[in-house]
Amino acid sequence: MKTNRRRFLGQSSAVLLGTLPSLVSRAVVADDRALTDHDGKILVVIQMSGGNDGINTIVPYADEGYAKHRKKLRLPTDRLLKIDDSIGFHPSMRSAADLLEQGKLGIVQGVGYPNPSRSHDTSMAIWHSARVGGEDVLRSHGWLGRTMDAARNQADAPDMILVGDEPQPLAIQSRRSTAVTLSDVTDLRLRVPQSEPSAHSGAATSLTRFVEQTMQNATATANVLERNIEKETDASAKYPSTKLGQRMQTISTMVKSGFQTPIYYAIQDGYDTHAAQLPSHSRLLREFSDATKAFLDDVEASGLSDRVCVMGFSEFGRRVAENNSEGTDHGTAGPVFLAGSQVRSGLIGPTPKLTDLVDGDLRMTTDFRNVYQEVERDWLGCKQGLQTPESASSLMLFDV
Amino acid sequence: MTVASQAAWKRYVPTESRPWDLRCVHHLHRRAGFGADWGQLQRDVKEGPDAAIDRMLGVAELVKSFDVDDSNAEPKVLTTSATDFESLQQLIGDAAVSSGDINRLKAWWFYRMLYSGDPLTERMTLMWHNHFATSNLKVANVAIMKRQNDSLRKHAMGKFGDLLRAVIKDAAMMVWLDAKANRKGKPNENLARELMELFTLGVGHYSETDVKEVARALTGWTVRDGVFEQVASYHDGGTKQILGEQGDFDGDDVLTILLKQEPLAHRIAMRLCEVFFGEDVITDDAIDELASGLRRHDLDIGWAAETILRSEAFFADDNIGNRVLDPIQFMIGPLRALEMLDPPPSTLLLAEWASKLGQDLFYPPNVFGWPGGRSWLTTRTMIGRANYVSALCQGELHRPSSPPDIEALATKHGFLTPKSRAKFVSELLLGHENESGDTEANLRRPASQLG
Repeated sequence: MKTNRRRFLGQSSAVLLGTLPSLVSRAVVADDRALTDHDGKILVVIQMSGGNDGINTIVPYADEGYAKHRKKLRLPTDRLLKIDDSIGFHPSMRSAADLLEQGKLGIVQGVGYPNPSRSHDTSMAIWHSARVGGEDVLRSHGWLGRTMDAARNQADAPDMILVGDEPQPLAIQSRRSTAVTLSDVTDLRLRVPQSEPSAHSGAATSLTRFVEQTMQNATATANVLERNIEKETDASAKYPSTKLGQRMQTISTMVKSGFQTPIYYAIQDGYDTHAAQLPSHSRLLREFSDATKAFLDDVEASGLSDRVCVMGFSEFGRRVAENNSEGTDHGTAGPVFLAGSQVRSGLIGPTPKLTDLVDGDLRMTTDFRNVYQEVERDWLGCKQGLQTPESASSLMLFDV
Repeated sequence: MTVASQAAWKRYVPTESRPWDLRCVHHLHRRAGFGADWGQLQRDVKEGPDAAIDRMLGVAELVKSFDVDDSNAEPKVLTTSATDFESLQQLIGDAAVSSGDINRLKAWWFYRMLYSGDPLTERMTLMWHNHFATSNLKVANVAIMKRQNDSLRKHAMGKFGDLLRAVIKDAAMMVWLDAKANRKGKPNENLARELMELFTLGVGHYSETDVKEVARALTGWTVRDGVFEQVASYHDGGTKQILGEQGDFDGDDVLTILLKQEPLAHRIAMRLCEVFFGEDVITDDAIDELASGLRRHDLDIGWAAETILRSEAFFADDNIGNRVLDPIQFMIGPLRALEMLDPPPSTLLLAEWASKLGQDLFYPPNVFGWPGGRSWLTTRTMIGRANYVSALCQGELHRPSSPPDIEALATKHGFLTPKSRAKFVSELLLGHENESGDTEANLRRPASQLG
C-alpha cells in the first residue's frame, strides 16, 4: 500500500464529497505528483530523556560483571524475559518481548560515540545534531531537520511534528524545513462539524480554487479523523492511559487519517534515575514498551505497518556500578530500539562487556551516527551526507 | 515624492471606471493594516484616497486603552484617554519582560496590533520579524527578544541601513546566529552567510570566499550578559577581500559595504511587494523600478511603502482579495470589524491561537522565516482557522465569554431590515455586498482567507 491518503480520499470522495467529484480528483492528482520512491515512510522517534539505564533494560544477566556491579539493583534472572542464553529484557518489558517474538523489534546494543559527555545537555545536543564534540561545537540544526532539508518534501503537511508540550528539540530544527508542535489531537478536530464548502465560485482564480481545495481536504481529513477517533473509543485499540501512550495514539490517529508528515517526535521524560531506581525505571520501561506495542498493533490493524518505524533512544546510558542511593549515575553507551514490521528483528551489533570497562563505563560498540545513517538512507530514503565514522560493516537495520 | 515613471507606481486617482469605494477602503485596511470597523470604512470612503492613505501612513487615530489586571497584565477595563496607549503598552511589555514568560510578550504584541493607532507600523514590524527571523527557541530570553522587537518597530518605516545596523549589532542576532563561536582563527560562518543570503543580497550575489572573508571581519562581535559587545582580542584584524573591496575590515565596514550593493534594494523591494501585493500582480520591471527608487532615496522604507500604498497597482482589481491572509490578519480582522475590542479579547488566548494557526510570534520556524502565501493553508491550519471562527462567534476569545451581537451592531449603524443587515455583514467582512448568510458563514468562506 503506497499511500493511505490517496485511499482515504478515494473513500471520502464517495462518502463525503460526492457532490464535488472534479475538485476531489484534482486533489488526488496533486498528491500523486508529490510521491517519490520512499513516499509514505514514517519515522516515529521516542526520546527517552534523562539517560536510560541500558544495563537494566537489556540485561546481560550471564555477564559476571552484572552481579558484581549491581547489588541492590540486580534484577533476578528468573524474572527476566530471556532473549537468548545471556541476555534478557527487564521484566516490565513484556510488550517489547512480544514484539521481538513477532519479529518486529531490533535492539542495537552498546550505542554511543567517542569521548562521551556525561552532561545531559551536551550529550543530548550531540545525539540531536549528530555532531560529536564538546560544548564549543556549533549545533544549529538537528539530524532530522537536515534530513528533511535534503528531502525537500512538497506535501501539504509539516515535515516534522512534535507531539507534546515540550519545546521543540534540536533534532527537528532545521534551516528551512517545517516542524510544528501539536499538544493535543483536539487541535485537529473541527469543533463544529462541517459539510463540504459550497462550490459556487465557478469562475474562480487559481488562488480561490486552491483555498477551496485546501478547505475540502481539511474537512475530509477532519471527518476521517473523527471516524478514527470514534473507532478508537471502542475497545479495539488498547492504548495505555500513560502520557506516552496518549501521544502515540495521537500520532497513529494522524497517520491513519492521511497526514503526510514523515517524522513524528515524542518525548518520554524521567530516566534520570539517580536514586530509588527500581520502581520508577520499571514503570518507565513498561510505559515505553506498552505504548510502542499498542501503536504498532494499531497501525498494523489499519494496514499501515509497512510504512511505520519507531525509534527509541536516550542521551546516554548509566554507569555500570550502582551508586549508594539505589540508583545509577550518568554513563555512556546504551541500547537503541527500532520497532516495526520492516526492521531486522533481534539483537544487533556486539554486546558490550561489563568486564571490559573504561573508567567504570561501558565501551560503546556501535556509533549512533551509523544507526542514523541507515535510518535516513534505508528507511527515509534520503541522504544529507551525514558525517559518519567508518564502520566495519553495515548494521542492516531494515529488511527492506 | 518623486513621480515614478513606471505605470505601476503611478499615483492612483479615482476615475469613473475605478472609483474610490468601499471595496478600495476595505482592501486598504485589510492589506496594509489589520482591518477596520464600519465607522472607519465609511469615514475613509467619504474622505477619499488621499486622506485615507495619509491617515494610514501617519499615526495616532483614536487609540483606546485599558487598565491592566495585575494578575496577568492583560488589558481589562476600558479607559477613555487616547494618550494612554503608549504608557499601557509599556506597562504590559515591561511586565512581560520581568515575568520572563514569552507568552506574555506575545500577548503584548497582540495588544499593540489590536489597539495601536498605527497598524501599518505593526504590520511592517511583523514583516521585519519575518525578514530577520530570530527565534526565542534559541535566544531563550524575553528581554532580548523584546529589545529586538522594539528595534524592528523603531526602524520599520525608516532607513534600511539604520534597521540593519540596529538588528545585527544586537544580542538577539548574536545569540541566534552563533556570533559567540566566531573568533579570530576559527571563524564561524553562520552570521556571515545569513547576513548576505537572507538579510541583504540574496543567493547569487556573493561568493563562498565572500562568506569566509565576511566571517573573519565579523569576528569580535559577540554577546555578553545579554548585551552586544565588541571584543578587540577576538577580532581578526587582517586584510580581507569582500565583494571586490580590500581592507582590514571589521563588522561595521561589512555593513557599509553591503548597504552599497546594488542587489540589496531589489531584495527590499521584493519583500515589500510580498506584503502589499497578491499573487502574480507585480512585474519584474515594476520591482526594478521600485528598487531604483529605493536607491535614490537612501533605502528609505517609508518612501517605498508610501509609493506602494498610493499607487494604481495597489488598488488595481487584480490586487484585491488576491493574497492569503496571514494568521494574525485573519484573526484580528473580524475582531476589529465586529467591534469586539471593548471589552478586550484575551491577548494570551489570541497568541495561543496564532500559534495553532502557524504563526507563533517570536518563534519563526527557522532562519528563513514563515514562507507565507499559500503555505499558510494546510490541513492543520485550515481546521484551526475554522475552529477560531467558531470560538470567535461563540465569544470564547473573551473572558468572560462575549459573543458578537451582529444585530445590535447592524442596528447601531442604521441597518434595520433583514435584507439590509445581510448586505451590511457582507460589506463589513468581505468588502462587497454579494454574499448572503450570517457572520460565521461569511467568515468561513474561502474569501475570508484572502485579503
